[in-house]
Amino acid sequence: MSGVLAAGGLAVVLAWVVFALTGWVVAAPVSVWLGGLVGALAVLLLRDMLPLRGLVALLAPFGVMLPALALRHMAAKLGLPVVPFGALELAVFLVAYLVFLAGAMGALPLEVYRLGYAPWPVAAMVLAICAYGFVTGNWFLPLIAVLGQALWLTGWGSSNWFDYVTHVLLVPVAAVVLVLRLF
Amino acid sequence: MHLGILALTLLSLGLSGYAIWRDKGLEWSFAVSTPPAPQGAPRFETVFDYSVDQGVAHAPAIALREGGADIVWFQGSSEAQPDVEIYRARLTRTPDGTWQADAPAAIIKSPALGDVFTPQQLVVTMGNTIENEAKPDSLYATVVSVGGWAMASVADVTMRDGHPVHARKLNLSPFLNRSFLVKSPMVAYADGSHGLPAYFEMGSTYGALVRFDEKGRVRDQRRMTGDGVKPIQPMVVPLDADRGVAFLRDFNDSGRLYVSRTADGGQSWSRAEATDIAHPNAPVAALPVSGGRLLMALNGGAQSADLLHLAVSEDDGATWRVIQTLDRKPGDARYPMLRRLDDGDILLVYSHGTKTGLRAVVMNEAWVAAQ
Repeated sequence: MSGVLAAGGLAVVLAWVVFALTGWVVAAPVSVWLGGLVGALAVLLLRDMLPLRGLVALLAPFGVMLPALALRHMAAKLGLPVVPFGALELAVFLVAYLVFLAGAMGALPLEVYRLGYAPWPVAAMVLAICAYGFVTGNWFLPLIAVLGQALWLTGWGSSNWFDYVTHVLLVPVAAVVLVLRLF
Repeated sequence: MHLGILALTLLSLGLSGYAIWRDKGLEWSFAVSTPPAPQGAPRFETVFDYSVDQGVAHAPAIALREGGADIVWFQGSSEAQPDVEIYRARLTRTPDGTWQADAPAAIIKSPALGDVFTPQQLVVTMGNTIENEAKPDSLYATVVSVGGWAMASVADVTMRDGHPVHARKLNLSPFLNRSFLVKSPMVAYADGSHGLPAYFEMGSTYGALVRFDEKGRVRDQRRMTGDGVKPIQPMVVPLDADRGVAFLRDFNDSGRLYVSRTADGGQSWSRAEATDIAHPNAPVAALPVSGGRLLMALNGGAQSADLLHLAVSEDDGATWRVIQTLDRKPGDARYPMLRRLDDGDILLVYSHGTKTGLRAVVMNEAWVAAQ
């Protein structure tokens, strides 16, 4: 099943890339449907080709957050109601995530990633995110946290919950969005 | 909106309850084996000697099996090249007690490994490969899909009839599970599970002991770090159920061998400290021998890996006495691995000729005791 999850994640990321590129030429919803079509066909027909295997090697595990953000972006372009993240939220996330990565590298004496293997810390982190969503009225983060927890429990993919709710590409994504938001 | 989030919260509580109920936790008591007492005449014999005319053959590991062992290494035109393959030579003890080595053969090629990966993906090259002692016919291979060793991952590879049939990366880091490698053999725990000594090679680098759940998925990892040192390739030796020692290579070229100790079965490790042992930037191998002693294969000198020594410690690794120098010819003798065979003898493998050949030596406890 982890192969199916990876294929799905790759299809969504490819769809978003095509959507973003064609968005310069054609408006939504055409760019969205075009992206979805290319992403789906690429994964269905070309998944054994070297470029796609390279992309899987490069980007897997895709997790839940990265594909969900891509879908969210495309959904917003289709006119669906999406509550954007605030600049402060993005800045706090970016700093926290960079500290998390620095700890994983051993540059800081923090071993937060290790907590993602164990049920009690995962339970506490998911509950905290749900509480945050309840306070802010934003359902997106609770949905990702709980979906990640459900997939983590299935054993189909990573044995670490953080692999579902984070992805190193979130660093440039969050940084670019934050810069665009501020300037 | 708030009702939806409340529903998600309740779902999370249910999932958490199930996860906590299902989780068996980890036992942190080392399995302590008693080495056999010295018996019979001392024996020390070279059972395998192999060289390549071109390219490299390096990082040999020992995979135990009934009546012998497999030696597993990587071989190709150069380290980290796409043509690197994992080779194997089967060592078998004949009824008359002599050793027979099969011709080396490639057992894992990068494209074939990529085919059996879940999910299927590109594998560019491979490196250090060791036995997965927790699962029959399985290996832990260091694989690279992009970049160099700092971008490597550890793959759990299931073999059948000498070929890979399934592989998956271990979930060890938030950098897309990258930058972890293996070198040393696994550590047995009293509950029958195993710990995997591994190391993170990006940035400040550190050693780690990885634990698994009953399905072989990563369940925990504990670090071995130091100050101003890059401690990698931990060689973990249990001393009793709770105490253990890890010998660490310093990737910083300090010219010293480092050591980290645990008193709680590997849950926590002391800061890696330099030993008095002058040692190049290279790994060591060690295992317990009779009389409460430790046997180590190590290089001599702070900068040179020309010589490979066998040394014995009678104080849990605090001090060492060289008992034999194994390789006196010029050229690096590196990457030793020591494992105990099913008959109680000790098998040592290492690479020589600056990564262009491999040698395997079998010795018994009587030989070690006589030195």
